[in-house]
Amino acid sequence: MSVSLDDIENSKCLFVFGYNGADSHPIVARRIVKARQKGAKIVVCDPRKIETARIADQFLQLHNGSNMALINAFIYTLIEEELYDKEFVAKYTEGFDGLWDVVKDYAPEAVEAATGVPAAQIRQAMRTYAGAESAVIMWGMGVTQYGQGTETVKSLAALALLTGNLGRAGAGVAPVRGQNNVQGACDMGVLPDLFPGYQSVADPAIREKFAKAWGIDPAQMDPEPGVRLSLVPHLAMEGKVKAYYIMGEDPMQTEADTSSVRKGLEALDLLVVQDIFMTKTAEMADVILPATSWGEHSGVYTCCDRGFQRFYKAVEPKYNVKRDWEIISLIATEMGYPMHYDNDQQIWDELRELCPIYYGVTYEKMGELGHIQWPCPTLEHPGTPILYTDLKFTAVASGKGQLLTHQWRKPAELTTPDYPLVLSTVREVGHYSCRSMTGNCAALKALADEPGFVQIHPDNARQLGIQDQALVWVESRRGKVITRANFNERVNRGAVYMTYQWWVGACNELTQENMDPVTNTPETKYCAVTLKSIDDQNWAESHAEQIYQDLKARLRSVVENAKPAAVAM
Amino acid sequence: MEKATVVCPYCGAGCKMNLVVDNGKIIRAEAANGYTNQGELCLKGYYGWDFLNDTKLLTPRLREPMIRRSKGVPFETVSWDEAIKFVAKRFSEIKQKFGPRSIMTTGSSRGTGNETNYVMQKFARAVIGTNNVDCCARV
Repeated sequence: MSVSLDDIENSKCLFVFGYNGADSHPIVARRIVKARQKGAKIVVCDPRKIETARIADQFLQLHNGSNMALINAFIYTLIEEELYDKEFVAKYTEGFDGLWDVVKDYAPEAVEAATGVPAAQIRQAMRTYAGAESAVIMWGMGVTQYGQGTETVKSLAALALLTGNLGRAGAGVAPVRGQNNVQGACDMGVLPDLFPGYQSVADPAIREKFAKAWGIDPAQMDPEPGVRLSLVPHLAMEGKVKAYYIMGEDPMQTEADTSSVRKGLEALDLLVVQDIFMTKTAEMADVILPATSWGEHSGVYTCCDRGFQRFYKAVEPKYNVKRDWEIISLIATEMGYPMHYDNDQQIWDELRELCPIYYGVTYEKMGELGHIQWPCPTLEHPGTPILYTDLKFTAVASGKGQLLTHQWRKPAELTTPDYPLVLSTVREVGHYSCRSMTGNCAALKALADEPGFVQIHPDNARQLGIQDQALVWVESRRGKVITRANFNERVNRGAVYMTYQWWVGACNELTQENMDPVTNTPETKYCAVTLKSIDDQNWAESHAEQIYQDLKARLRSVVENAKPAAVAM
Repeated sequence: MEKATVVCPYCGAGCKMNLVVDNGKIIRAEAANGYTNQGELCLKGYYGWDFLNDTKLLTPRLREPMIRRSKGVPFETVSWDEAIKFVAKRFSEIKQKFGPRSIMTTGSSRGTGNETNYVMQKFARAVIGTNNVDCCARV
C-alpha cells in the first residue's frame, strides 16, 4: 500500500472496495473503526453487508462481478460533475482524454441494472470521496480475484489520481495484503520476473550484478521471466514442468479447481514438499523435507504496509527438522554450488547489499519492536511511511501517473437454470489459509470446524427447502461438496459464500480458473453453483463426520506408517 | 519464564506479540506494543500457537525426512543426508535432461520469513538457472 496503517486511522475518508477487514485482518479493521470515531467518512462497496458497512456513511451493495462497471461510473461522475482535481491531473498525470473514451457509456444511470446500485448513490459516493480533505481507497481480494482484477486495480488507482489522493498524509491506495509475509515473498524476488528489491530479470545490468554477487557467469542467468504458480498444473500435464519444489504452500487446498491441481501434481516426475505439516499436497510428494516452524526460528517479515519487522525464536524444535534455508543450502551444495549461511542475519545482510531500497534496513535498526518501511536506501534513512510524496510515478519514464480504465467484462462462468447461484470464496475470521496451523489449535478448532459453512440469504434458502445449520450439497460443474448452511441476512440474494479454509466443505473443488491475463490470478470470487437440500440429516451428519475422520486418519497414517527401509543383512 | 517477541504468522497486519515460554514450552501469547497493532491482537494471535506441539487435531507435523521410492508406495523415513542427496540427484538429472525451465520452485508467504525466500529465489536463479520461482500471492 502507498500509505501506512496509521494513515488509515487518520484519513478523512475511507473508500472500502471489495475488502472485508473484520474477517481478513481484524486488527487493520480496528483502524477503520478508529477513523470513524475521529470523524472520517466511510463508503463501502461490497455485495455483502460486511461489518464495515454497518458503520459506513454509505453502503453500495453492488452485484457480484460488476466492479469495473461501477468504477467506470465513478470515473464518469468525477469528470461529468467536474469533481476531479484539475491542477493535479494536469501536473502529475497523463491519459485523461483516453479515460473519457472508455467511461462515456458508463453514466451512473446507465449502469444501474448491471451494478444494482442506484445512480444517485454512485454520484453521492464520488461527491463524498472527491470532497474529502484526504482519502484512502482500501481494497482486497474482492477486487483482485476476478479475471479482470489487474484492470480493476488500475481503474481504482485512476480514482486516486483524479482526486489528487496520493503522496500525502491520509491519502493513498491501500491494497491490504493477505498473508503474514506475502509482501515479503514479493519483496524477496519470489516472483518469476523480478529479482529481490523489484529489479527486473530482463535488465542485463541487474542480472550481471546478481551473477557477480552469487559467483556465477551472467550468461548462466535466465533472461526470460519464469513460470507463474497458477499455470504449473497445466504445464505439468503438458510435460513442460517435470519437477516441482513446493515450500510452505498447500495448492491442493488453496488453488482454484482442485481436480486440475491434482492432475497436474500427479503428472510430475518429481514433487518435493518442504513443510511443517502433512497436508493434502505433502501426501502426494515423492520427497518430504520437514522444516522448523514459526516459533522455532527467527527472521524478518514484511507486513502489509511495507514494514520490515523482526521475529525471534521462542522454543527449540523438537523433531528431526531443519531451517528452510539450511535445507535449500544443503541441496545447492550437493548440486555443486557451495552455499552456507550461519544465521538469518548473514542472509539479510547479503540481500541488503543487492537491493538499494532495503539497504538501510539493518537488524539493529529494526530491533525488537521496530517497523521500517521500504524504500530505506541509506543507514541514516528512517524508512518511507508514504510513497509518492514527490508525486513522481517512476514506473513509467514520464514520471506521470497513468490514468487508465477498461471496458467492463462479465465474469467467465455465469449462472444458468442448472447452476443458479453465484459462489464467491471468502475468509474465516478464526482460521487461516490452508488451515494446517489454525486447524491444529484447540481453541480455534472449538470455535469453527468441518465441514465449514456456506453463507446464504434466508430467502434463497427457503426457496430451496434448506434449513439454517442443515447440511447441504454445493455443486458446480467441477465438483460437489457437503457443508453447513449458514443463514445470513447480510448476504445478497442470488449469491452464496464459502470460506476457503475447509477440507471437507472444500470450496476449491468447485471454483474455476478464468485467470486474470496479467497476474494469472484465478477468478475465485465468481462461479456458478447449485445447492441441494438433504432430506436425511442424520445420514448427512454422519457422512460429513466420516469424511472428516477418514481424511484425518489417512494423513496421520501417511506419517505413522513411514518407516526406515529394511536393512539388507 | 521467558518471553520471545514474534510477529503473528497469520494475516498481513504484522501484529507484534510475545510468546511466553516456561520450561521450553509456550504457555500463552500476549499482545506486544508493535507499530501496527498498538498492543492488540485478534483471536488468532491469542490462540493460534499450540499447533507447534503437534496436537494432531487436524494433521500431524512432519518430524523426519521421507522419500517415496515410486508412485503409490508408502514413504520411507530417511536420514537428512540421504534426503538431500536424493533431491539433488533428481534435480540434476531433470535439469540435464529437460533443461532448467522444467523445474519449478516456490517461496512461501507464511512463517518462514524473508531470508528463506531470498535463498529460494537464489537457488532457482543461480543453481537451477531459471526464473521459475513464485509464491501464492496470486491466490
